[in-house]
Amino acid sequence: MVEVRQRVLKQNDMLARDLRERFREAGTYVVSIVSSPGSGKTMFLERLLATLRGESRVAALVGDLATENDALRLQRSGAPVKQITTGSICHLDASMVSNALASWDVSQLDILFIENVGNLVCPSSYDLGEDLRVVLLSVTEGEDKPLKYPTIFNTADVAVITKMDLAEAVEFDRDAAHRNIQSVRPGMRVFEVSAKTGLGMRQWTDFLQSAH
Amino acid sequence: MHELSIAMNIVEIAEEERLRHHAARVRAIHLRLGPLSGVSKDALLFSYPFACEGTPLEGSRLAIHEERAGEALEIIALEVES
Repeated sequence: MVEVRQRVLKQNDMLARDLRERFREAGTYVVSIVSSPGSGKTMFLERLLATLRGESRVAALVGDLATENDALRLQRSGAPVKQITTGSICHLDASMVSNALASWDVSQLDILFIENVGNLVCPSSYDLGEDLRVVLLSVTEGEDKPLKYPTIFNTADVAVITKMDLAEAVEFDRDAAHRNIQSVRPGMRVFEVSAKTGLGMRQWTDFLQSAH
Repeated sequence: MHELSIAMNIVEIAEEERLRHHAARVRAIHLRLGPLSGVSKDALLFSYPFACEGTPLEGSRLAIHEERAGEALEIIALEVES
């Protein structure tokens, strides 16, 4: 028997640490966004890039299994955007982020957003070197998402409830959603937004600007 | 389902350790797994033989020791033949 004691994701963790150090030296605040598919990550980011562009130097990396659709959509904001296509891989890891940034001078950025692959399970294991991990939960998904996927809520720093403009139509139980988030991650800060109408986006961007 | 990537990481680390210890073969890998690791034991056990295929670890066994709490995902020991 040979004793080993090595974390399986050590290589990713080390690479993420290097990235975090690089971002810190460059003065770039990095925000990653995780959620299930279809909860509105891209719309949320589209709005964010458009709103923040006047105030800060922002850019985004977007992860998907296939297609450049999201990047093309986000590029309309005028901010630099790069698509990471993962093939069959269900998450981003630190090496994909590092490779995607190879040709970018991150010191020219104030905030870098990383939109992860739509998945509430796999991304939780991979540190991307981000400063803030945001988990999105849309009102159409059901209030018990945090209870079903506690790990991702546990690894996230902030939760954002999206599509609030649909809350009434889908009879979204706001109290239950907040209660469920707090039960899996006590004290978690929660924002409510509608990227479509702009509702709550100001509070969110103010928070971002004050956080970095 | 990122267990296949995790399994491939495990195989890679085990192979490095095997070479480092000049062992001829790895019989088993012992892994500590916490409930907050985000990794499913069953899916990992299912993926493991596929990750081993065509590597010197083919035929080895993955022994998973489940923890009650925490996010451990760590190789603790290898059973090797010299």
